[in-house]
Amino acid sequence: MSVDISVKIGGEAGQGIQTVGDILARVCLKCGLYLMAINDFESRIRGGHSFFQIRISDKPVNAPNHGINLLLALDKKSFDLHEKELVKGGISLMEGVDTPAKKNVIAIPFLELAKESGGKITSNIVAAGACLALLGAPFGVIREVITEGFASKGKDIVEKNLNAANAGYEAAGKISYKFAFKWKVSRPRGILIDGSRAIALGALAADCRFASFYPMSPATGIMAHLASAANEFPLVVEQAEDEISAVNMIIGASFAGARAMTATSGGGFCLMTEGLGLSGITETPIVIVNAQRPGPATGMATRTAQADLLFIINASQDEFPRFVFAPGSPAEAFETTSRAFHLSDKYQVPAIILVDQYLNDSLFIAEKALKAPGKVKRFIVSDNDLKKPAEYKRYALTNSGISPRAIPCNGRAIVMVSGNEHKEDGHSSESAQTRIEMVNKRNAKVVKMLFEINPPETYFPGSKILLAGWGSAKGAIREAVDMLRKDGIDAGCVNFNDLWPFPAAATEKAFLTCEKFYMVEQNSTVQLGRLIKEQTALSYSGAVLKYDGRPFYPVEIADGIKKYMR
Amino acid sequence: MVSIKDYDSDIENTWCPGCGNFGILAAMKDALAAQGIPPEKILIISGIGQAAKTPHYLKCNLFHALHGRALPLATGAKIANHELTILVNSGDGDCYGEGGNHFMHAVRRNIDLTVLVHDNKVYGLTKGQASPTSDEGMITKIQSDGVLSETFNPLSVALALGAGFVARGFSGKAEHLSKIIQEGIKHKGFSLVDILQPCVSFNNINTFDWYRKRVYALSEEGYIPNDFNKAMDLSKMWGDKIPIGILYQKEKPSYTDKIKKLKESTLISGEYSQKKVQNAIHSL
Ligand SMILES: Cc1ncc(C[n+]2csc(CCOP(=O)(O)OP(=O)(O)O)c2C)c(N)n1
Ligand code: SF4
Repeated sequence: MSVDISVKIGGEAGQGIQTVGDILARVCLKCGLYLMAINDFESRIRGGHSFFQIRISDKPVNAPNHGINLLLALDKKSFDLHEKELVKGGISLMEGVDTPAKKNVIAIPFLELAKESGGKITSNIVAAGACLALLGAPFGVIREVITEGFASKGKDIVEKNLNAANAGYEAAGKISYKFAFKWKVSRPRGILIDGSRAIALGALAADCRFASFYPMSPATGIMAHLASAANEFPLVVEQAEDEISAVNMIIGASFAGARAMTATSGGGFCLMTEGLGLSGITETPIVIVNAQRPGPATGMATRTAQADLLFIINASQDEFPRFVFAPGSPAEAFETTSRAFHLSDKYQVPAIILVDQYLNDSLFIAEKALKAPGKVKRFIVSDNDLKKPAEYKRYALTNSGISPRAIPCNGRAIVMVSGNEHKEDGHSSESAQTRIEMVNKRNAKVVKMLFEINPPETYFPGSKILLAGWGSAKGAIREAVDMLRKDGIDAGCVNFNDLWPFPAAATEKAFLTCEKFYMVEQNSTVQLGRLIKEQTALSYSGAVLKYDGRPFYPVEIADGIKKYMR
Repeated sequence: MVSIKDYDSDIENTWCPGCGNFGILAAMKDALAAQGIPPEKILIISGIGQAAKTPHYLKCNLFHALHGRALPLATGAKIANHELTILVNSGDGDCYGEGGNHFMHAVRRNIDLTVLVHDNKVYGLTKGQASPTSDEGMITKIQSDGVLSETFNPLSVALALGAGFVARGFSGKAEHLSKIIQEGIKHKGFSLVDILQPCVSFNNINTFDWYRKRVYALSEEGYIPNDFNKAMDLSKMWGDKIPIGILYQKEKPSYTDKIKKLKESTLISGEYSQKKVQNAIHSL
């Protein structure tokens, strides 16, 4: 039997949707199931409408599904909004009062049961118990998850929540449900992790010492995770007065010898662009995470997008080398973040990581263990490494373009750094020749930087048609390929993680044998497609674009591609 | 022993002859030598403007950064390595205009920096536009009907924000200024030294002569800078008599003093631990 079930938990902000979702996810995890979950919420703290949508399967899942098998509607609005998404045989679980008399609705008096068991506030736990009972989950595992989850709040709270879950479980236990399946208790398939946490862990694994930021969704989660870990590490997390300050602070910290990062979203990144240029011309390593949301200006604070690619690649006046990455999953976000620190340090250039609300706030299973390195290699010199420290020149001309980097007040070498164009020693200069030398020196790094760039990842590479995308759309694109292949279409895909310096040769190779390729992006003007056109001799034949602020469903991509097949 | 000569830089100076910045440069070298801080042990961070060129004109570690952004950059450097002695050279436009928000928050953080604001009451490098500290009514090529906004008072603002070291110097009295800078360096916390600096090219009101007739040293009157209200009153004094010296000083924990883990070591000398990262991963 194959399992692929989506449960949507909808309600107002503040109704405890997250907790229900978390319990469901952890029970699935403990039963060796695969899952992924998206968080959909509005820019408000209470009221409105939010949902948590979890997809449960016995095979790896890396994108949300469009059809809903079980809708847990904690309010009437959730039912009205999402009833149409129910698949055939799908049902909606609702609070007993004021329930529409429909065949696909099961009413359970959550609140009443909560009052009798764990108290009024546990009605969401009653609902969680009911959901899991419908699906056929074993209560033993629910007990474990609730006990662990509430342990820090004391025995009494654990007991109340267990009672509430049990009440819901009993109430729904006898109802027969088309999509119930046999659960086994087995080992988790991996760890459950969202993009935000993965990035924070990746930064720790790269020995990040200083992080400065100004709160902005969907980037704040990264800093929240770093801040909560900071006590255990030689790490300071500083909330700056604005993004301009944040980026300049990390440049100062990095200059002084600490690996440093910031995280923001498009609007904040706009404020950081002058600082980005300062990092570029002073060759001070920094890592910036840009967590995309729809824009411009404030756009949609809690929604997702992939529309900053061309901006990020070109941000700041004039020219200088930089790295730009766009991981496709939390596991990749972890690796990529660590790699961004390493490469930024090695080449003395800024590195930017492009993620988005969907990746940051969605839960995925990372099957392969995340591993921190035994040692973190730094690229800093001190007096001992220098022949004549007293004659140290921060911007000494070299073939690679990389000059030995010393840190200030660390010996006899005097470190002089300037955001004005400068001579080898770091003093400002307006000489035409110096200017050309320094531009060439900085640009020279690109040759070796390109060797660090991974080619795009391919899936069914020899296929007649290829889908191409970048960043978090990877999971949905790959699943769309599976769907197309099932329908007899010879399709594969190409997914970019490393975007800049652009891997032109690898891109040409990836598309060499296909007849046509189609872009799949969350923006309205085919940004990666245009970049490919600019950087290679290749042109896309069409594009599936989504820019409504919501993540891709695989079926939308497959349908979009099929339109081109007619 | 460190001598003033040790700070000599062979870089061509691009300031106008007679500019008030020369006095500030001399006072800085004097202060550093007097404090026995050799060039390789001092870090000077600056923004952009005539004032911000200063670090190039003496031998030191330096970061000549962006217009208005010296303070956050210096804050990051100080947190990374709080053993650094950091001076900041900034202009009135740089520090109170473009960087005004950072100024406010650097004071609040009480980050241990000594900030020298070369206050020429005009934008020098961009050729004479009004600055936040320009007198109301001052006529410039841009403000042809005179400056409409009221004059920004950095000393009052710093005091109101709770700054622990608020001083005013005059570039025409380099020796006096050197003493203030030395006190600023010794002060553990944010030290503001607003320096009256004649701009001979674009400010023909606040000239050397104009200041010489008006400034008087507070220390000569036996003033003790420990009374907030008196300091506030002095900060507003402007006209026939202009006080120079330390208006207010109060030691309190600096920003990096308040970060517990920095008591053991600087951030940059901390140890990476694979085990701890692995624990953080497993705690999921
Ligand atoms: C972002 C940005 N805006 C504007 C400028 C142009 N600019 C350079 S210096 C300066 C003002 C300098 O005035 P002040 O800070 O008072 O220093 P001074 O030159 O008088 O010493 C301006 C506006 C710049 N370099 N960067
Ligand atoms: S323009 Fe004014 S401040 Fe600038 S160097 Fe000349 S005199 Fe000094």
